Amino acid sequence: MSRRFLVRALAMAHKELMHILRDPQMLGFALLMPVMLILLFGFAVSFDVENLPLALVDQDRTPASRKLTEAFTASKTFEIVARLDEPSEAETLFRSGAARAALVIPAGFERASLHGPEAVAQLLVDGADNTTATVALGYANAVALSSSQQAIVRAVGSFAPPIDARVRTFFNPALRSAIFLVPGLMVMVLTMLAVMLTALTVAREYERGSMEQLFATPVGRVEIILGKLGPYFFIGQVQVLLVLTMGVGIFEVPVRGSLVAVFVLASVFLLAMLMQGLFISVMTRNQMLASQLAAISTFLPALLLSGFIFPIDSMPPPLKIIATILPPRYLVHGLRAILLRGVPLSEIVADIVPMFVFFAVLLVAATKRFKREVA
Amino acid sequence: MRVQLMALILKELQQTFRDKRMVAVLVVLPVVQIIILGFAVHLEVEHVPTLVADEDRTPESRALVDGLLAGDAFTRVGTLDHGQEALAALQQGRATIVVVVERGYAEHLARGDAGAVQVLVDGSDSNRAIVAQNAVVTYILNRALSVARLRLEALARVRGQPIELVPVRFEPRVLFNPHLDSAVFFVPGVAGTLLFIVTFIITAMGLAREKETGTLEQILVTPMSPTTIILGKTLPYAAVGLVVLGLVVTAGAWIFGVPVRGHLGIIFAAGTLYLLAVLGAGLLVSSAVRTQQQALMAGFFILLPALLLSGFMTPIENMPAWLQPATAFNPVRHFLEIVRAVLLKDASVRDVASQFVALGALGLGFFGVASWTLRRRLG
Repeated sequence: MSRRFLVRALAMAHKELMHILRDPQMLGFALLMPVMLILLFGFAVSFDVENLPLALVDQDRTPASRKLTEAFTASKTFEIVARLDEPSEAETLFRSGAARAALVIPAGFERASLHGPEAVAQLLVDGADNTTATVALGYANAVALSSSQQAIVRAVGSFAPPIDARVRTFFNPALRSAIFLVPGLMVMVLTMLAVMLTALTVAREYERGSMEQLFATPVGRVEIILGKLGPYFFIGQVQVLLVLTMGVGIFEVPVRGSLVAVFVLASVFLLAMLMQGLFISVMTRNQMLASQLAAISTFLPALLLSGFIFPIDSMPPPLKIIATILPPRYLVHGLRAILLRGVPLSEIVADIVPMFVFFAVLLVAATKRFKREVA
Repeated sequence: MRVQLMALILKELQQTFRDKRMVAVLVVLPVVQIIILGFAVHLEVEHVPTLVADEDRTPESRALVDGLLAGDAFTRVGTLDHGQEALAALQQGRATIVVVVERGYAEHLARGDAGAVQVLVDGSDSNRAIVAQNAVVTYILNRALSVARLRLEALARVRGQPIELVPVRFEPRVLFNPHLDSAVFFVPGVAGTLLFIVTFIITAMGLAREKETGTLEQILVTPMSPTTIILGKTLPYAAVGLVVLGLVVTAGAWIFGVPVRGHLGIIFAAGTLYLLAVLGAGLLVSSAVRTQQQALMAGFFILLPALLLSGFMTPIENMPAWLQPATAFNPVRHFLEIVRAVLLKDASVRDVASQFVALGALGLGFFGVASWTLRRRLG
């Protein structure tokens, strides 16, 4: 049984391989795409806020106000794009998107900073983009704190902070967002490519009527599915290799753990995602519908429910359940653990098992659907 | 021409929706997705898993730790006995942040020295780690400043003369989204994204399917002009797209409290131009490929960059300088800017005029090139 099973599955795989090789454009696309996408996204997707367009409303025009402005623009966080007379003009710039924040230094700022009780400036922030707004507010906070320290220095000659805070960031000391984003981007690209590779294969055979011919042969249902999976599994492995090489070579993502662990993790993930594509294909038997489902079940879920950007533990419980079923979160978690924190294979078993369960359940479901069809 | 066009639209709609599941996929699923995913887009620093190693065990050290854990930002997930265990705990992924109050903290403070606190951050976790780290540092600095002020007051009493301290303060004012709610920012982005996915892939597949099944020849031998064919292949999906736009905006406002401050007419006008560009790009893909599989691949190849380089998640200002100009050719970017400006900031057409011009140019451009290419191939 097992030998014949193998022969049939291999025959099926061979047939699928011929299909793939007949369309070299497709194959080229499948291999070029991960390279291009990782290259583009690695540069483009960044949470490192820089050059935030700032409108300056300096109504004081004194050395003190200039000093505050300098303190604000000392780093690369803000870039002055406009000098205005009235704070109300800033809102117009916010509406058109020309400015994201406005520093308002009211008249009398210098006088207040000399005679007290406090010198107040205003920071207007466009809250629509809350991430960037939070960064801007935090930055203003830091500027205010350091000015207060300077005030103490002026008063008593020196300032030794009474609490010595030593902050150490591990696994990503420069806090470059690329380090944690690139593994996430790899997952996103791999998720979509894998599902896309298989989502149309069975549906195409149904549409062209060659599925009936296949059913007429002694090849079993499981053999059809596993045979179809095989060649794409290898294409997927090449994609993993390409994506990993790009991440390490260009974006300096470290590989602190073992590559064998990465390989095992990625293999199970590939099986799961290729199976998701096949499942869609078997269920829909319609390429148009299958492509819609492939698109909609991969891009946003891999982006939003994988923990790639949005932390899963702050999601509401029903969403946590969905995120727990879908494989991308496990690859994001596992890849970060192996690559950045260097954990051994034994510690990511908890990531591998759920992906395998996902694969197995869909395999059974797809086979069942096939059987019903014949009966 | 009108009769022919109606016939073709009817055929297209019948063919697409003959399979009832397609209705669900094109119309219901986007709404379901926006409801589900709207809850996922939550970047607020809340409940960051935090481990505490209080080696000092004094009222002062407890006050420091309690003050940090007081808000919603940090949640204590456990306690370590020694600071030495901190790194291993981070490695195992037990927490994002470990705060270690070193032995002698209270004693140093009492003597007028500096008490030592270590903050260990897992930089691999996510964007949240960065924000959380800043939050801890700011908290400790603020606390240090208030201790310093107390000391200065004591010094002033000893000297018998007041010490003048004028602090600088920023009065923050957050416009349009005062509670800095993530959903308000992300939900319009998710809506634009869904609209793109639903309409783009289907037009990209459209002609490819006719080629694959051989029905394209049959259509070509009919007296229909290429223009009729092009309109017939796009108008139904433009209509579907506008319906989806209406549904997702409603869902966003109703469920996630995304404000609708501006005129909805502007959004639908922008949506029409946006769909023109998206469908044009879809037609271009469709005319270039032979099979539906190729259409799906090529479609994704365009869809991904278009969505990620739109400012949908990360601001365009964060992108490298050489890449930013390229986003001017991305219709998603202009559409999202208009939708956010109108919904959240009550922008008028004049406020977003430049985005409208860009979107209009892209819409006409893509659609123009697509119909020109198709007319040559079909004619």
